[in-house]
Amino acid sequence: MQRSEKLLYLLMTLLIALLFIAGMVLEGPITVISKVISLQKESARLINDFTLYGVGTSLFNAATVGTLGLVLVFFAAVSLSGPTLSCVLTMMGFAFFGNTLLNCIPIILGVWLASKLARKTFGSYSLIALFGTALGPLVTYIMFSLGLPYPLSIPLGLLIGIGAGFILPAVAGSMLQLHQGYNLYNVGFSCGFIGLFAANLLLAANKMQSISVTWNTAYSLPLILLVPLFCAVLIITALIVDKPRQSLKGLVAIQKLTGRLPFDFFDTGYFGGTLLNIGLLGLTYWAYVLLVGGSINGPVIGGIFTIMAFGGFGKTLKNTIPVVLGVILSTLVFGKSLTAPGPLLAALFATTLAPIAGQFGIVAGLLAGFIHLIMVEVTANWHAGLDLYNNGFAGGLTASLFIAILQWYKTNRPKEDFTT
Amino acid sequence: MKRKEFLGRLIGEVSNFLLEGNPLRLVVSLHQEDDGAHISFFDDKPRSEEEIQRIYNSLNPPKNRPELAEYYGLMAGSDMAWDARLKLIGWQIKHASVDNSDSGLRIDLWLGSDAFNPENFTLNKKSKK
Repeated sequence: MQRSEKLLYLLMTLLIALLFIAGMVLEGPITVISKVISLQKESARLINDFTLYGVGTSLFNAATVGTLGLVLVFFAAVSLSGPTLSCVLTMMGFAFFGNTLLNCIPIILGVWLASKLARKTFGSYSLIALFGTALGPLVTYIMFSLGLPYPLSIPLGLLIGIGAGFILPAVAGSMLQLHQGYNLYNVGFSCGFIGLFAANLLLAANKMQSISVTWNTAYSLPLILLVPLFCAVLIITALIVDKPRQSLKGLVAIQKLTGRLPFDFFDTGYFGGTLLNIGLLGLTYWAYVLLVGGSINGPVIGGIFTIMAFGGFGKTLKNTIPVVLGVILSTLVFGKSLTAPGPLLAALFATTLAPIAGQFGIVAGLLAGFIHLIMVEVTANWHAGLDLYNNGFAGGLTASLFIAILQWYKTNRPKEDFTT
Repeated sequence: MKRKEFLGRLIGEVSNFLLEGNPLRLVVSLHQEDDGAHISFFDDKPRSEEEIQRIYNSLNPPKNRPELAEYYGLMAGSDMAWDARLKLIGWQIKHASVDNSDSGLRIDLWLGSDAFNPENFTLNKKSKK
């Protein structure tokens, strides 16, 4: 294992340990464990803010899910680097509003089964397995919200979760072709596609309930401090490990990357620069939320964690800002509030489209962000909140539209045709 | 991945890359054996040492990335409208050699099972980068 990978393991272990300890300190060890156990039964569909069950509970839950991700990466024999780091941090972020150990494991098992059938190592499908936990709410919904007796509903939820995970590698591979790597949350796009069928199947059986939003607006100092503290650790580590000048050089070099999938920023050789990028992304979008007066709650922490997660795998300050500005513009044009759950989360998660700004420029990024908000406000209803990465689903649709148009334009340039 | 699809993706991506240079001549040669395959590409555009090194580095990543190869590797050769990304196939092959032939660039890809040994091939015995 290389030194940089060991450092990443150390940083992630530190974060997870911090969340475990904070959770136990805030609510007491016995209470927090019993609340996290009961959290497994709660509705995980969008948007259910787990901080409403207790800030300590949500922190502890994020730590358990993060541990699962990190342990799987370790035993899957894949390196902890940009892509895998993005999985673990994203899972942790979504453990503030949807992911639990119970609803993650069946999906991962399903992907593992698919890998066995395809005679691949689990490592080959590890990213799909970890990001695939976006479909966790499907498991929880079948288990606890269908109104069936538990001896029937729990095995059924388990089986459906495994089934969803099993087909995910096939769907994820095909979805990549649609947007050609310009939507960073491709598995989210794929999960939305599967969620669409699952939700409509349940609707046909008259078993689908409409979605609701639970949103914590209470002030919580631990939640407010979580992101800047972690970012500070990352930035200090970057400056110590690579020396400030080298880290800054790396940061500047990383800003020039388009971010199109798959680009592991750690492969540039700028370890410090990549950590700096992650830390600065986190601080920037944390400051944005505070600046517009938004609440720092579970879903918002999830959004900021996801931005940071992709700070080593596609997102930079340069390619995210135009997209976020596009969402802000769209919010204002359509008379919405910047602090309302939809637009606030869209501003954070729309950064899934950062590669469009990175490749095609600021105007394309602005347009993508503008359209994204319109889409994301309706897509959650399509899959009934069963896909936690709803912005990945909406982003995939937006990116596919952009790419289809640009592809048509590129393949129909008359001046490059054969002359008659 | 089935051989046909795998080979098609590799050939597609490298061809995409070579066609970006608008060559007047492009030759693709495939030699398959039970445990592996060798694909050679020739064009008529000689490259500078710096370019050759860049291509070589893209095709020979410093470490194995199974998590990227199997999943994102599916994008290789699937679309000719965008810039070629040789790194997508670098994760999926055993080895690549790159040099200037008599007329232009020559790229050799070696692929196969874990037991595959490119040295067993009788073709292409001259020194490689």
